[in-house]
Amino acid sequence: MTAPAAPVAGPVPARWPLLRPDPVALLALPAFAYLAAAYGWPLLVLLARSLSGPQGISLAPLAQFLSDPFSWRVIGNTVRTALLVTLVCLLAGYPAAVALARARGWGQALLLLSVILPLSVGVVVKAYAWQIVLRRDGIVSQALVGTGIWDAPQRLLFTETGLVIGAANVFLPFMILPIYAVIRLIDPRLPEAAATLGASPLRRFLTVTLPLTLPGIVSGVAFVFSLAVSMYVVPSLVIGDRYQTLATLTGRAFLFMRDEQLGSTTAVILLAVAVAVVVGSTALARRLGGGGHA
Amino acid sequence: MSLPDLSDPGFLTITGAEKRYGASAVLGGVDLAVGSGEFVSLLGPSGCGKTTLLRIVAGLVAPDRGRVVLDGRDITRSPPHRRDVGVVFQNYALFPHLTVAENVAFGLKAKGHPKSEIPAAVARFLALVQMAPFADRRAQALSGGQQQRVAVARALAVRPKLLLLDEPFSALDRKLREAMQIDLKRLLRELGITALFVTHDQDEALTMSDRIAVMNRGAIEQLADPVTLYRRPATAFALGFVGLSSRLPGTVREEGDGMLRVETPLGTLRAPGRFRPGSPVLLGVRPERIRVSGDGPNTVEAALVEVAFQGARAHLFFAGPDGERTLMAETPEIPAGAAPGARLRLSWAVEDTLVFPAEPAPQREAA
Repeated sequence: MTAPAAPVAGPVPARWPLLRPDPVALLALPAFAYLAAAYGWPLLVLLARSLSGPQGISLAPLAQFLSDPFSWRVIGNTVRTALLVTLVCLLAGYPAAVALARARGWGQALLLLSVILPLSVGVVVKAYAWQIVLRRDGIVSQALVGTGIWDAPQRLLFTETGLVIGAANVFLPFMILPIYAVIRLIDPRLPEAAATLGASPLRRFLTVTLPLTLPGIVSGVAFVFSLAVSMYVVPSLVIGDRYQTLATLTGRAFLFMRDEQLGSTTAVILLAVAVAVVVGSTALARRLGGGGHA
Repeated sequence: MSLPDLSDPGFLTITGAEKRYGASAVLGGVDLAVGSGEFVSLLGPSGCGKTTLLRIVAGLVAPDRGRVVLDGRDITRSPPHRRDVGVVFQNYALFPHLTVAENVAFGLKAKGHPKSEIPAAVARFLALVQMAPFADRRAQALSGGQQQRVAVARALAVRPKLLLLDEPFSALDRKLREAMQIDLKRLLRELGITALFVTHDQDEALTMSDRIAVMNRGAIEQLADPVTLYRRPATAFALGFVGLSSRLPGTVREEGDGMLRVETPLGTLRAPGRFRPGSPVLLGVRPERIRVSGDGPNTVEAALVEVAFQGARAHLFFAGPDGERTLMAETPEIPAGAAPGARLRLSWAVEDTLVFPAEPAPQREAA
């Protein structure tokens, strides 16, 4: 249904399609050119460096990195925290997106503001704020002791739980906004029709609303996962050097260890993991949803 | 006109249904009883509350006051999925992520029908609406008329006690609409389905309904079968909303024995009715009741302004002394000498003159 807009066949077939470009494609040209120069080219350099050993192109550096158990712990940390952050954002963000889509007037404006405004606060500022909140005598610890969930104050700072909590806060808007955008487009008559056909509220959600919001969920998951898998500032400030992810290790390799070989290798692995998860989840959603029809 | 068996006139009973949104009352205490197997239309202009009434019956809107009883069960507080009320929505509301067959199967699955019986039921209802060849298409790939038929099949497949239709033909072009009206009416009669039908289209209501409830400003002004509604509209609004009519303001001069003499811009006319002398009234005449030429108790002379030839008939528009179009006559043929500007004598029977109390503001001009 959402086939790429093929130009309607004109009377004269274009003999040199590259010289007579689709005007729509021209609109994307500036962004494409910028990304190709500022992102694509350095990426190719990085990829080349990660594969270049002393004897020319080889997979040896990669194999060497992957043979180290420490590397696998780093990859594990990276993927696990990214998945946890994505899951937390999805569970917290989906209901928020529904509420945002159903709210009207001032309520909706306030909700929308409260989702978008945090994006204007720098990640560094937020990460420092979480340092304070997650301390042993911080507000989270005090609240959990006060409600009797914890017996004694504990620190969440420098723990993986603290990292997931802090990171989920930073990336939550990137889950809420795409899901909200899709929910808003769903005809409110569809759940109503399902109700008149005998579907309970739960069934309506599972068989109508959820499948129709799947494109939004996929966008949100892709956004949050790729942001979380490559986050650098939040783990650096909330959890510190003892805990390494592919992103922080890449940073250390380039900035402190001056090991460009290691940095390129970790960066390429990071990219591969992110692309694999995003492409995989999109394909899975397409199969579950039976095609793009947002 | 064959009326269905009305031995159970209270199959669906709505009593005192009220709904306000903020300060404005959308429905002000509506009563309506629909018999089993009956086809009743809610006819009125947009904003008259007809859709709100339909949504109250479906359970999609909660009334502020009033009761809804269906087949002896009070469903006023039941959620929509426990009502046995099917709905065909104006935009059909087919599930875009499902095929035609899956759309029809949706309700059967939701109601827990045995899995083995569902394909046969789906096939049967798709065949009923002549959509069997499209079973595996996606709903969005269908034309408007096809979507409408799938929506009907989907709503009927779960065997609802009552079918609600919310302007299901409004998105279709005229020819298709007329064909589908007849198809749908026959289908519902064959299945013995009780239906409540919302429309703003008087032709549609007259064609399809056993009875029509004319709604205006959150109230039912008249509930009658199509013939009575057309011949004996109860209010000036019903006269103006259903069918074409000539409408003349006037003042009652004399009343005696149920017969009035009313002074109008076209002269003094006679009409059956009981009004106090001096009352402001509105006289109405249906166009096919006006004879061009000929004399009678109600005879006026008026200038022909325009002739509209419609094929099977012609509409003649006449101006009163103030130059405004006030009279409209319908004739099988264009009469001889009917050229714009000609002054013609028009007459109609006393009993064809309808009298209503004058409305503060007329809702619709004579067509």
